[in-house]
Amino acid sequence: MTTAPVEIREPEIGEDTTSDRPWMVIVWNDPVNLMTYVVYVFQKLFGYSRAKATKLMRQVHEEGRAVVSDGTREKCEGDVARLHAHGLWATMEHDA
Amino acid sequence: MSPRWRRFRPGPDDSLVVSLAPEELSLLAGLPDVLRGVFDAPEGDAAGNRLFPQAQLEPTAEEAEEWRAMVHPDLLRQRLDALELLAASLARATENKEWREIALTPDDVQAWLGVLNDTRLVLGTRLGVTEEEREIDADDPDARAYAVYYWLSRLEGDLVEVLLG
Repeated sequence: MTTAPVEIREPEIGEDTTSDRPWMVIVWNDPVNLMTYVVYVFQKLFGYSRAKATKLMRQVHEEGRAVVSDGTREKCEGDVARLHAHGLWATMEHDA
Repeated sequence: MSPRWRRFRPGPDDSLVVSLAPEELSLLAGLPDVLRGVFDAPEGDAAGNRLFPQAQLEPTAEEAEEWRAMVHPDLLRQRLDALELLAASLARATENKEWREIALTPDDVQAWLGVLNDTRLVLGTRLGVTEEEREIDADDPDARAYAVYYWLSRLEGDLVEVLLG
């Protein structure tokens, strides 16, 4: 594997530069998804250990939400889309 | 001693063999039509929104449209592919005494998981289920939908248990 070359350019006036700030992906509690299924999806999509996936699932269940990944806007958009494909209720927001 | 009956058991070549009663197989065969109905539902349908949510809690109309344009075609394609894999696998069922058995490939298993979960999301949204399991009277108009919902929950739970190992 190799990494793609990074194109560097100056932001234009008025351009939204906030997209360079880190974003967070949040999974929200819902009454339908099985707890074991949520653990499975976290392991499958993010490669998390059983322990980490279980901890995140419990946080979603008990606190109503958990941050499951973070990164660039593009990465988080991809993560949210994959979570939606697996039926989890996920949103993204800026790291404050 | 006869071995314990299992809904899913390991088969040859990484397959997973599922055993279904004939009426269970018929029920699964009807799921693609249920989900296609949701895929075709007008925007704003609660079950449709549950399968294709927004990426922000309170998006502007422009952000909502942008997200939908970016992800909806791919998500829909994946879900339609899963329906086809499910239907094709059900058509391969063979008889073993009172059971119908199907050897599921790893791709089939992922498709089944997706269809089972999507159908539960749709039924759960329509029924307004909560985390508390409800006692349902036989004369409740939603009795059948609840029975299907809980049956799908057990089937999916059994499958996830196998996948988690």
